[in-house]
Amino acid sequence: MLKIWSMKKNEDAVAKKKPKTSAAQIRVQKDLTELDLPDTMKTHFPDPNDLLNFTLTITPDDGMYKGGSFVFSFAINTNYPHEPPKVKCTQTIYHPNVDLEGNVCLNILREDWKPVLNLNSVMVGLQYLFLEPNADDPLNKDAAQELIKNREHFLSNVKQSMRGYNIKGVQYQNVMG
Amino acid sequence: MKVKIKQWNAVAQWRWDTGNKDAADDEEGDVCGICRVPFEGCCPSCRVPGDDCPLIWGECSHVFHMHCLLKWIGTAASKQQCPMDRRPWATAERRVDNAPPPTT
Ligand SMILES: [Zn+2]
Ligand SMILES: [Zn+2]
Ligand SMILES: [Zn+2]
Repeated sequence: MLKIWSMKKNEDAVAKKKPKTSAAQIRVQKDLTELDLPDTMKTHFPDPNDLLNFTLTITPDDGMYKGGSFVFSFAINTNYPHEPPKVKCTQTIYHPNVDLEGNVCLNILREDWKPVLNLNSVMVGLQYLFLEPNADDPLNKDAAQELIKNREHFLSNVKQSMRGYNIKGVQYQNVMG
Repeated sequence: MKVKIKQWNAVAQWRWDTGNKDAADDEEGDVCGICRVPFEGCCPSCRVPGDDCPLIWGECSHVFHMHCLLKWIGTAASKQQCPMDRRPWATAERRVDNAPPPTT
């Protein structure tokens, strides 16, 4: 009995030293191999050994945000897929569903997340925000108001913000890179 | 020609009966939607597949590794809903379909 205990302890020690691939990592690996992204989306792994932290660049080829290049950071914690990935826009952009800190309002990243969704569904959802910005449940209320009141004016604000102009006192970031 | 059997090797295979008869039509049919490991394998917290890592059926007919499902149901965000269709999770007595119970 004693021996078994000490063996067990040794095993634990080994396991601690060399952490086995976590469930989240295994799942992320699968998600990444199943990614089926259009040419308008590219992932980038700053540290190739760290699959849990990466960026996604979206370059919409249609809609009001066409021509821009939008970079999102993905941070996946060990509870994935029980918790959604944490996604933020790394730039200050003019969008009704993205606030000035880069927080994104996308239902599947919040209340509608479910573990059977994968990274592909999140990425496709993000791209959809650029094709169809929506004024319901906005994070940038000014932008949402403008979208409802005057679509033309909203569009011109979008275009200006993408070139790095200042709109209503907010300095936006040039994303035309 | 006469064949004389000198030796034979038994090959056995098992799989959970998920009640998914059209597995071929449904590529994801035999994979747990939560961890994406086939039902024949075990969930990420187990080492050995089989009875220690059973499957669980919902009345909505969705199947998962029991450990995967319980972990999800245990999170506040799950609101105790099925990870597939977000309907309130109700564990079925046994797999949900019309086939007679296995006779083993
Ligand atoms: Zn599973
Ligand atoms: Zn298990
Ligand atoms: Zn279900």
